[in-house]
Amino acid sequence: MGVTVKLDHAKCVGHGRCYELAPEVFGEDERGHCTILVECVPPEHEKAALIAAANCPEDAIKLARS
Amino acid sequence: MEQKENPCPHTGVLNIIDPEYTAHPQPAYARVLANHRVAKSIAMHSPILSRYEDVVFALRHPEIFSSEMDMQVLLGTKRPMIPQQIDPPRQTRYRKILDLRFSRPRMQALEPELRRHAQQLIDGFVERGECEFDQEFAVPLPCAAFLTLMGLPQEELDLFLELKNGIIRPPVDPMDMIAATEFRMKTGERIYAYFEKAIADRRARPQDDMVTYLTTVDFDGRPLSDEEILDICYLLLLGGLDTVTATLGCSMAYLASNPEQRRKLVAKPELIPNAVEELLRWETPVSLVPRVLKQNVTIGDVELREGALVNILLGAANVDPAEFPDAMNVDFERENNRHISFGAGAHRCLGSHLARMELRAALEEWHKRIPEYQIKPGAVPNVSPGIREQLYLPLVWSA
Ligand code: HEM
Ligand code: SF4
Repeated sequence: MGVTVKLDHAKCVGHGRCYELAPEVFGEDERGHCTILVECVPPEHEKAALIAAANCPEDAIKLARS
Repeated sequence: MEQKENPCPHTGVLNIIDPEYTAHPQPAYARVLANHRVAKSIAMHSPILSRYEDVVFALRHPEIFSSEMDMQVLLGTKRPMIPQQIDPPRQTRYRKILDLRFSRPRMQALEPELRRHAQQLIDGFVERGECEFDQEFAVPLPCAAFLTLMGLPQEELDLFLELKNGIIRPPVDPMDMIAATEFRMKTGERIYAYFEKAIADRRARPQDDMVTYLTTVDFDGRPLSDEEILDICYLLLLGGLDTVTATLGCSMAYLASNPEQRRKLVAKPELIPNAVEELLRWETPVSLVPRVLKQNVTIGDVELREGALVNILLGAANVDPAEFPDAMNVDFERENNRHISFGAGAHRCLGSHLARMELRAALEEWHKRIPEYQIKPGAVPNVSPGIREQLYLPLVWSA
């Protein structure tokens, strides 16, 4: 049981909300677009990952409980 | 006293230059959202989109809602500004080279100098017990950061302000459109000439700055032409100065008028980054962006025609209750905040990382030194339309 994150690269335009709000889960490439650091989120970062997804104005991040 | 309603409940015409609206637009946004899926601007009755859903749809579909429009009359430009007035896929190619220079780590490197500058500005007036926030803080702070970023000498601050104001607020009778256009075109010539000189200079003597970068960067296997560099610099000048000034002014006007909210930030400065986002949402200083239709499109039951100019009201989308629970409440601890104050889609603000750094640092430095302040009693707000700059914001505190 855990949360996995998926990024829709076609939607991401680099607002950077995700890597500011959940730096343990999301990183940035050199253009400032999102990269996924850990696909399976450890429980202690779940809340941050949720908040990051809920703050992405492009709706580019999807979380799934597996 | 009875007030004329804005927007007009019968026609859905929104008066976007009414001083009461420019100072406090949120109640009018709420009325537009509730009653007029497609409202009309008082300027030529062009349609206004306001729902979060419609606004985001428009911003993500540049093939319908195009940014390619002739704004020479309003901006003094001879060619479209890059990348704001061109559409993907061409726009995306420019963003690829520009994004690299506006990334978060690059902007964070400018932070120590910006903080020092903020402290110096505060030193200049703290003991006076008052300041005119716009001219003494909100204008000079981002302008200095902009000059550093571009690699231009700080002594040219006044010249820069003159050039930018010559486009945005030409010093002529506001009703005289012809005089305004002439003034803008003359100022535009000066802006082109100024950057032409800077480009020639950097080609001869490269430095570690933005203009040099633009002269040397590889753009799909070729260098940028001088015209392309000019069209980028022109936009940076217009987009990078007023916007941060306006956001600082709107944020401080809010905090000065809402002491209980301000005290939360003073007590818990770690709330400032989130408060900056919430103030961006609530105030939406760049309240509206224009688009032109490339095809017919139906919004709700209104058909909009190819060629029409459409106003995208970011400010209204940011208080849409369908997207933001308790939208009319300013909550510095709001957890879900997909505000679109920096736009959305392909044209998402290039300077957003710079702007966020500046806003956070400025609010932190200010509240460390001046935690209690208010708007000078009796002062009448004067907020410009479109980009909502607080043109006159006298603040007082006990020194
Ligand atoms: C809080 C301050 C700022 C706000 C609220 C803001 C807002 C915006 C918005 C709403 C857009 C989208 C325009 C559209 O879709 O037509 C935009 C685009 C842009 N902004 Fe900002 N901006 C800010 C600061 C800055 C700064 C500091 C810079 C540069 C130094 C900058 C440079 C740009 C550029 C170049 C674009 C065009 C991007 C493109 O078309 O691809 N902005 N900004
Ligand atoms: S917040 Fe969304 S758009 Fe922004 S960088 Fe993250 S994934 Fe991309």
